[in-house]
Amino acid sequence: MDSQEQIMSDSLVRIFENVVLTEEKSLQAGYFSDLSIAEMHTLTAIGPYQSRTMTKTAEDLGITTGTLTVAIDRLVKKGYVIRQRDTKDKRVVRISLTRNGKLACRMNSKFHRVLAKRILEGYSEEDREHLLKLVGEIDTYVEQQLRKYDNTSNIRKTATEVARTSKKETPSNG
Amino acid sequence: MDDADSRSTLTDEDKRREKVFDDVIKLISESMEISPTEITSDLNLNTDLPFDSLQLYEMVITLEEAYDIRISDEDLDNVRSIDDIVDLIVRLT
Repeated sequence: MDSQEQIMSDSLVRIFENVVLTEEKSLQAGYFSDLSIAEMHTLTAIGPYQSRTMTKTAEDLGITTGTLTVAIDRLVKKGYVIRQRDTKDKRVVRISLTRNGKLACRMNSKFHRVLAKRILEGYSEEDREHLLKLVGEIDTYVEQQLRKYDNTSNIRKTATEVARTSKKETPSNG
Repeated sequence: MDDADSRSTLTDEDKRREKVFDDVIKLISESMEISPTEITSDLNLNTDLPFDSLQLYEMVITLEEAYDIRISDEDLDNVRSIDDIVDLIVRLT
């Protein structure tokens, strides 16, 4: 019989791989089959609303601006991204999503939401809360391990991390 | 009360809602190539209209751009009918 550590370790790796694989398969089978997973994640980092700078987007993705430039070149050619010079500072390049880019981004976020919804709906409310608490703790722990290897601000911020930070910044006393 | 009287008692909020309703009908009829007269406020988006999720997001993006608003997926979870979309836009604008 496998040890608890072995089961946990295997499950973590398998969940990660299978989520990415499922995402990839659903992309290939859907309307956006010309996009790779990495490209889809780049679109998600840019987001469906305001334009963003190349520097900030590269930071969020944890890649260099050089690597991002190559990815953006491809996404511009495919019609998902628009690249423009900042109107005030010509040295700054801003990127935003085309209508097709926005559609791909929103469809991908729907994929993740549906996956989470399907997983959660199999549990009672009490179990759901417990599960979310445990998953949150795993998320925090793994994030801390990542920080050990990268102490700069160039760490990809997850949605939960952003939420946690904004909560801390809200004055609680008074 | 006749029609003219009831129209004169419309509040600004009612008029705004009417305008949004007309805009939504126009956008849906154009994008789905359906006659505006076939679209009523209680139409269910999932069962009465031939929307798939891509078309739903097409419509959402069009509405977001038209009204300069952000419609979250959480908001969309509660949208079932044309009336719900109109209420949502009125709330967000």
